[in-house]
Amino acid sequence: MAENRSALITGITGQDGSYLAEMLLGKGYEVYGLIETRREECLAHLEGCLDDIHQVYGNLATTRGIHGVIREIAPDEVYNLGAITMVTLAWKDPVKVFQINGMGVLRLLDGIRRYSPKTRLFQASTSELFGDVTESPQNEDTPFRPRNPYGSSKLMAHQAVVQFREHKDLHASCGIMYNHEAPRRGPLFVTRKITQSAARISLGHDETLFLGNLDARRDWGYAPEYVEAMWRMLQQDRADDYVIATGQAHSVRDMVAAAFARVGISDWEAHTRVDPRFYRPAEEVDMLGDASKAERVLGWKPRVPFEEMVGLMVDADLARLRAEG
Amino acid sequence: MVHILVSETRSALITGLTGQDGSYLADQLLEKGYDVYGLVRIPSMPTSTLIEHILDDVTLIDGDLTDQASINRAISISKPHAIYNLAAQSFVATSWKQPILTSEVSALGVVRILEGIRYLAPDSRMYQASSSEMFGKVQETPQTEATKFYPRSPYGISKVFGYWAVVNYRESYGIHASNGILFNHESPRRGLEFVTRKISYNVARIKMGLVDKIQLGNLDAKRDWGYAPEYVDMMWRMLQQDEPSDLVVATGESHSVREFCDEAFRHVGIDDWESYVDVAEAHFRPAEVKELRGDASLAREKLGWAPKVDFRRLVQIMVDSDMELLTSHREMTEPTV
Repeated sequence: MAENRSALITGITGQDGSYLAEMLLGKGYEVYGLIETRREECLAHLEGCLDDIHQVYGNLATTRGIHGVIREIAPDEVYNLGAITMVTLAWKDPVKVFQINGMGVLRLLDGIRRYSPKTRLFQASTSELFGDVTESPQNEDTPFRPRNPYGSSKLMAHQAVVQFREHKDLHASCGIMYNHEAPRRGPLFVTRKITQSAARISLGHDETLFLGNLDARRDWGYAPEYVEAMWRMLQQDRADDYVIATGQAHSVRDMVAAAFARVGISDWEAHTRVDPRFYRPAEEVDMLGDASKAERVLGWKPRVPFEEMVGLMVDADLARLRAEG
Repeated sequence: MVHILVSETRSALITGLTGQDGSYLADQLLEKGYDVYGLVRIPSMPTSTLIEHILDDVTLIDGDLTDQASINRAISISKPHAIYNLAAQSFVATSWKQPILTSEVSALGVVRILEGIRYLAPDSRMYQASSSEMFGKVQETPQTEATKFYPRSPYGISKVFGYWAVVNYRESYGIHASNGILFNHESPRRGLEFVTRKISYNVARIKMGLVDKIQLGNLDAKRDWGYAPEYVDMMWRMLQQDEPSDLVVATGESHSVREFCDEAFRHVGIDDWESYVDVAEAHFRPAEVKELRGDASLAREKLGWAPKVDFRRLVQIMVDSDMELLTSHREMTEPTV
């Protein structure tokens, strides 16, 4: 059924991009990946499927390059997952962040409109669009109040998708994705930092995990399921925007407890210190997504429970550490 | 001994100096004793006649919102107490044809100015020309500072981004930066491609027998039209506040293009004006914004601002000015017998 279909993925080397590539290959897609650099460590997540994907070297920063790729491949689907995602970097070089996160999708939309108007587009929007939330949970109608250049540039991208959909008849959808984690999460993210640390401590490689605010709460889902939601959005007759979230908030404390429980350590407090350098005040209102529209229209629902997701991440970190010796 | 109080001279840097708002703002700031600097793209200079009368009084700095270095240079040269960012790629139709360029100028330009302020002039105050186009597909009427944005074009999207950039930098770095959410504001200095001026100019031409028809788009589109010099005054007032804020600036009344035609034609003594107007589908915008009407209560409360020139008076000012313009033009070009 899916035979001969083609998809272009930007950000294919990241957590989501690599899971998505594997999923689409499994469905029989021709997968093209926009790759910025050949450096080996950047391709680590693609280890298992690098030979099966068409590698397109380039980035979201040049209009000619993006238009050229769209014209040449004319893919059935484009998944725009490429972005500069570290919020701290957004303050260091906001211009660049905007040129990639904001204008990257404009280049794709403009290219699709000109050269391949049948191409369907998925845009990775983020719960950071809601930023300064005053109501919880948030849904597709909640007002956006981004708090930093990362959120603002993602908001522009989101609105660009809506505009090209409404006025240029493109099949373009945004997934407003809440935090989603997996063994491929980068080690700078708090979830991965915790699971990696729990694994190391259990093996005696380390003694203490330093964290910021243990009471900070997030809506954390399991990345491979979120990638599935992206694909489902592009299989709809009508393009639309969807919140993708679990609807449940857990604290950093919950995550630490779950990670240590997986390695059989019950007194996690003894191994955890709060470091004021990492401390960020907790939000007064929970960042919590209401994904009932995705369930209703896409038939999508998160299945992997929180503890299980944390467990999978810890197991993967243990395996990696053991393999390294 | 004479003490010269250098500190009393304030300086202002204006982007978009050559446009309607920029030229009025320069007039008003010069009047208040400011040193006025303008960031201008030199190629745009010959086309602008709006600042001819003050060319000796302002300092022009060659530069562009797409070029961070030129912005930094302009800030270093002008040492501004106030920066007014009025420049934008503001044509909605063009923004669909050139969305990348539009966002480079209208969205990223704001960040480049804020970055310049952050590193080179943290005490400088900034005014950002936000726009009622941000409300686009309006979510409620009238629109206030709390109304949800729903932009309808790459231009509107860029303006929303600029708005949030101002809020983000204000909240994160304490920069005194304010958004003026200005509804349409018109004047004799409006460009001929804008519907109000297109009407006033062509009504004057029809009255003088120079043409027989005006081609217009949707006559039922409704806008909240104010008088530009009053809005420009509001920009300055916003930067005099102790605390920066975001304010809607509007008349609170909306009128249709049809009403604008009606007032304009009647003012020159033509009552049955419909026969002079052709409605052309080609002039309809791809995504028409139907009714924009702003609620400026907060501006009134905070700054005591209220518009004085009403709709009818605005139309009259514009038509009179175009009649005068055409008359003087005719006198200059037509030989008297």
